[in-house]
Amino acid sequence: MAETPRWRRYLRFWGADPDADIEDELRFHIEMREQEYLAAGFSPEEARRRAVERLGDLDEVRAWLRRHDWKKQKRAARVRSAGDLLQDVRYGVRKLWQEPGFSAAVIAVLALGIGATAAMFSVVDAVLLRPLPFEQDERLVMLERVDVPLRFEGESFPKSAPDVTDLDSLRGVFSSHAAYAPGSLNLTGAGSPVRVNVTLVTPSFFTTLGVRPALGRPFTPEEGEPGGPRVAMLSHGLWLRQFGADPGVLERTVELNGVRYRVVGVMPHGFAFPAETELWTPLPVPFTFDYWEPFRMYMPSHVIARLAPGVTREQAGDRLLALVNAYREARPAGSGSDERIAAADLVRPLRDFLVSQRRTALLVLMGATALMLLIACANVANLLLSRSATRRREIAVRAALGATPGRIMRQLLVESLVLSLAGAALGIAIAYAATGALDALLPAGLVGVAPPRVDARVLAFTLIVGVLAGVASGVWPGLGAFRADANEAIKTGGPVGGTARGAARLRRVLVSGELALALVLLVGAGVMLRSFLALLATDPGVRPERVATLELTLARATYGNLAARRQFYEAVLERLYATPGIEAAGVVNELPLKGRRGVALSVHAAGKPAPSRDEMVFAHYVTVTPDYFRALGIPLLRGRTLAPAVDSAGPGEVVIDEALAERLWPGEDPVGQRLVLPNEDPRTVVGVVGNVLSKALDDAEVVPQMYLSLEERAPSYAAIVARGNLPEGALMRRLRDAVRAVDSSQAVYNVRTMEQVIAHAIAPRRATTTLITVFGAVALLLASIGVYAVVAFSVAQRTREIGIRMAMGARGNDVLRLVLREGAALAVAGAAAGLLGAWMLARVLAGMVYGVSPRDPVAFVLAPAVLIAIALLASLLPARRATRVDPVEAIRVE
Amino acid sequence: MSRSNADLLQGTLGLLILKALAGQELHGYGIARWIERATGDVLAIQEGSLYPALRRLEDRGLITSRWALSENNRRARYYALTPAGREHLREDAAVWLRYADAVTRVLRADPAIV
Repeated sequence: MAETPRWRRYLRFWGADPDADIEDELRFHIEMREQEYLAAGFSPEEARRRAVERLGDLDEVRAWLRRHDWKKQKRAARVRSAGDLLQDVRYGVRKLWQEPGFSAAVIAVLALGIGATAAMFSVVDAVLLRPLPFEQDERLVMLERVDVPLRFEGESFPKSAPDVTDLDSLRGVFSSHAAYAPGSLNLTGAGSPVRVNVTLVTPSFFTTLGVRPALGRPFTPEEGEPGGPRVAMLSHGLWLRQFGADPGVLERTVELNGVRYRVVGVMPHGFAFPAETELWTPLPVPFTFDYWEPFRMYMPSHVIARLAPGVTREQAGDRLLALVNAYREARPAGSGSDERIAAADLVRPLRDFLVSQRRTALLVLMGATALMLLIACANVANLLLSRSATRRREIAVRAALGATPGRIMRQLLVESLVLSLAGAALGIAIAYAATGALDALLPAGLVGVAPPRVDARVLAFTLIVGVLAGVASGVWPGLGAFRADANEAIKTGGPVGGTARGAARLRRVLVSGELALALVLLVGAGVMLRSFLALLATDPGVRPERVATLELTLARATYGNLAARRQFYEAVLERLYATPGIEAAGVVNELPLKGRRGVALSVHAAGKPAPSRDEMVFAHYVTVTPDYFRALGIPLLRGRTLAPAVDSAGPGEVVIDEALAERLWPGEDPVGQRLVLPNEDPRTVVGVVGNVLSKALDDAEVVPQMYLSLEERAPSYAAIVARGNLPEGALMRRLRDAVRAVDSSQAVYNVRTMEQVIAHAIAPRRATTTLITVFGAVALLLASIGVYAVVAFSVAQRTREIGIRMAMGARGNDVLRLVLREGAALAVAGAAAGLLGAWMLARVLAGMVYGVSPRDPVAFVLAPAVLIAIALLASLLPARRATRVDPVEAIRVE
Repeated sequence: MSRSNADLLQGTLGLLILKALAGQELHGYGIARWIERATGDVLAIQEGSLYPALRRLEDRGLITSRWALSENNRRARYYALTPAGREHLREDAAVWLRYADAVTRVLRADPAIV
């Protein structure tokens, strides 16, 4: 039998060694038996042989015992460590329960940080990370420069660029493709008339996205032919709302602007692509005027495609570019622009297209919440450190009683984890409550497509963040415990020696770090706020106060001809003017500042040479009634407004804005001049009005505008504008009533004040700015709590010193200065580091600010000033307490 | 009593071990010796299966073990009966005796009895 190596004995110092025990037990048995045989007179060899033999197959017995004992030991270790952990958790919870104020403060701080991070993550997840609700969404691409072919009165438009029919030649590149064009129509024939978002789609739309109707069938190819049957697909939401989820809705008909469509299907819940579509109807190829006519609005068409298996986006881009270039080369020289086109811009990932520029804003906000969470963690670490200083004695006793440093560290970590997980649970509740409010952060393209929600992914993320926060904030006091000198602490019963000083330094560093991070956020918030204020201060060119608007679309059946529409608008305006309190009212074909750009035409001055292609002037084409300018508060600078009743046979009039006047007649009086529009007789300029921002407040590009009389071409889509000396609600009601009085069956929508129209267009900016500002404020609050804690703790520790100083003649003011200096040192150190960080991070804000530099000097000066002031304020409280120290008491203590 | 007789036969070694430990704490060799002596050296147990049997009894909580110094001053693993083990021994011994009695009676019976 082999000797056991000697070293194995030492293994027992670290716990049972099953192998050695088995050897010992078996050897003991054999030796005892051997002695028995020796006593019976056998030779030593024989005695040994017989003894071993009696045990049978020794190797097998040994192997069996080893297997058994190792298994048993592992099981026991598992049970023991689980038991220890449970004991730690129980002990930790009991300890924390005994200090409810402390625990609540820590949990609240962590919940704030974790909740904000989780809520922000739910948005980032929905927008940037989670797959879109389409089959293999990463294979879907948007194609640029691909048109939908048009046919007008039987004649096709000449092609200057590829259209969707050309895509059939790229079968190997795109496995399927579809065109769509979102708009909106009045839905009648199912309850009261409502405005619904309607998207025209080619029949392959649903199969390209890989989404099948929940009820009924997708469109057939025949339904995509011009003149094909008029059919409609309902969204789940519309089906629920307007048809009470009636499964018999199939084969029923709905009326869209007076035209009947047969319902063939209902899409599944949650599918509303694009732009919160509620109803889809076929987009025929080639597209004809009568399909577009009921919309009477600008409807941009898009082409979406699915990459064929194995084809990369780059390859597809190159192939499409070749197609586009073929068209460019074929057209007559000098027509169209010769700008360079990049293949990558022709084939864009669907998500890129939908998210557009919101990505930066979301990532900045995510970063801001991360900073806030870091500050929260530093704050908690700080609180835990000050708590561990008071617990040093307890920890030392445990160490003296045999707890290893690892075990004590684990105990402290368990406590901070208990706190952070409680914070995470509360944070989830905060995130859950916030999801609805975060919709404003979504890119317009994703509203209704990928709603943010608190799901398993967000829960998992929060759990991870919670654990990390617990470890990050709990590890510092734990490290302190490692270094704690048990003897010292027990003897003196207080924080003594280098460790206490080290902990104090650590806490000061943590708080300075907090202040630095808070300043980064604060500067960011300052820049965003200044940018937003600049935006609000921008003159939109209209006076939106006391103005209400509504939008409507006249049904073709009732208002098919110009006279009927003209009559309708006249009647509504007449009603409005008869209403007391209404000062001015007008009609316009497209409201300004709605976040959308209208149609622009190329124009030039009569009598001057037609400009070359590069110098062409484009002007937005707006049709209005004469009082529109007065109603919206657009100043009339020269001449007069349009004549009230235009004789359609007479010469056309036009009002232009300053920008157009400047472009066409610089230094001249434009009134009386003649303006040439494409395909019509020159018009006489009768007046010049102020510039109006046509798209939105933050629209950098000023496009000149020209105003034509609505009487000439009364549109079926229009907005009615009324200015009045009435409360907002009453004004909007009067407006609606006026329409109803003229035609009670006419649907109206977007009834709002002009201020709301403007605010709506800049809502995402407002949301981003508000959030960053809130984050900055919370960060400042947290950091100031940190300053307070550190200074208060230091005052408590220095009570004796302060007492001695006062006994030696120091006055209250001296003590105040002494303590404030400590707070100021923290603030200045933090502010310096924070300014540096903010300066370096300013670049990320570059794309998000309007009217100010991302390194706006005002924000960079004000924010640190506020930070230092708040930090001093936070140290003032403990400083005041220090001045009230009673020298006698202070010295007698200890 | 739910235990079947087959179990009982297989558990015979366990029963003998429990009986050996009923009076005193013993190491493995001591158990083997006690059984040999008690049966007048008639029944020599299979020593190879002694230790696995001890482990199984310990797993079932019928016996416990500890390391102690033997009569000749050597480190040895001693086994002792737990209260559960004692109870078990009582029950199994009763069953075993009834069974053995029955078998004995059958073997002694007059083959002529119908």
